[in-house]
Amino acid sequence: MRVTVDPDVCQGHTLCALAAPGVFLLREDDGHSYVAGPEVLPEVEEAVRKAAATCPEGAISLEE
Amino acid sequence: MTTADERVVVGFDQHSTEYKAGFPEIGHPMRARCPVVWSEENGGYWIVTGRELIGQLAKRPDLLSNDHDPTGKRRGYGGVAIPAPVGGSTRGGFLEMDPPEQLDFRRVLNPFLSPAAVERWRPMVAELSAACLDEVVESGEVDFVDDVANIVPAVLTMGLLGLPLDDWVHYCEPAHATVYTPPQSPDHPRVMEMAMQMAFRLAGELERIKVEPRPGMIRALVDAQGDDPATFNDEDLVGTLLLLIGGGFDTTTALTSHALHWLDSRPDERRRLLDEVGLLDTATEEFVRFATPAQGGGRTVTTDCEIGGHRFGEGDRLWMAYALVNHDPEAFPDPDEIVLDRFPNRHAAFGLGVHRCIGSNLARMSFKTMLTEVLRRLPDYRVREDGIVRYEDIGTINGYQHLPATFTPGARQGPPLDEVVAAWQRTLDAETV
Repeated sequence: MRVTVDPDVCQGHTLCALAAPGVFLLREDDGHSYVAGPEVLPEVEEAVRKAAATCPEGAISLEE
Repeated sequence: MTTADERVVVGFDQHSTEYKAGFPEIGHPMRARCPVVWSEENGGYWIVTGRELIGQLAKRPDLLSNDHDPTGKRRGYGGVAIPAPVGGSTRGGFLEMDPPEQLDFRRVLNPFLSPAAVERWRPMVAELSAACLDEVVESGEVDFVDDVANIVPAVLTMGLLGLPLDDWVHYCEPAHATVYTPPQSPDHPRVMEMAMQMAFRLAGELERIKVEPRPGMIRALVDAQGDDPATFNDEDLVGTLLLLIGGGFDTTTALTSHALHWLDSRPDERRRLLDEVGLLDTATEEFVRFATPAQGGGRTVTTDCEIGGHRFGEGDRLWMAYALVNHDPEAFPDPDEIVLDRFPNRHAAFGLGVHRCIGSNLARMSFKTMLTEVLRRLPDYRVREDGIVRYEDIGTINGYQHLPATFTPGARQGPPLDEVVAAWQRTLDAETV
């Protein structure tokens, strides 16, 4: 699985980092999200799916 | 698809007693007919109640303006309050601006409010919360609003702004009363006078910080003014300070009150919140969703357009009803139930799009800290139902004026509140050198 955060859509709600900490990181200056790397390890796939589902802006895309 | 002729018209006013009595169920019959409906109240406006549609609308700040322009310098739009405030002559900081100006302000203030920045204030919030409870713990009686939830966010906001922590008392009553006092109240003139004094005081602080810089958000705005005096003009700086005080004081108070009230009759859930790892995090989002302290925000349509299959006309007013959206059953199963481990939870309680509540991380941190401290120190509290006073008008902020409770008295554990505030003032002053 691959994951991306669209920086133009993310508004810094931070719920992705709550769902999958370590996969989604929050910028120091505004708390907007970015991914540590696009490849998702199998053991966190479920958490990343939850993160995508809870993003209020729909900024997270998954590629299975 | 709605057109001017096909619009679904409802009788609706978020400031009415019917709304307060009917929230949140009042949104369901409206939403069932159409995710955006029209009301002739408040001068006529659209009300958005569907979660899917509001997400589409929030992505179009070019079509839906937050601008408040009471003197007609631009297009004369009415800002985020519906109806626009009577006699209101200034705009409410960057919340009543559009990009790119709005983003200029947020860029200056974001570094104070990111999750990382907010963490630095957690020790102060914890000590303040403990001290507030120490003040009442021997008596067995508390008003969660007056004694805890009004104080902690207020002192914290002073710290972030770079104002003397003690000064929170000057802002506390006006910050809350301007929100809960409707224009028809006999108390309204007194509250308006207080609000004006608050604005004067902030204008004075702004001038003082220009000559005696103190670190904090005001200083950052003053520095930005040096680089771009047109955007960061004095009037919009004072509007921004009023916005930060309103947002910093009143919303977290409302959230904390709702949670403590709901937990009153649920001792098992109180224990779960203290014991289960991670539950406080999901529960916080759920309390925010359910109560939606900031109930919604007004917009003005900038041009004839179609969004999500619905047609709007230039100049139309529209209310982003975050509170009703957060109870859309399409997005939230059992929407009128509080489910502490609900997750995913795509709530819109902090707003959506470029206007997402800039203080959301601060609100979460201070809410969690206050709530945990109450549950630890007053584990058997019971709310005195006969003493509860909800805001007379919940259409702006869904808050409580009073939430009294009794509990088994306990022993003080730390110094009095004024000593804790003074000690933190010394700490902050030392950091400034």
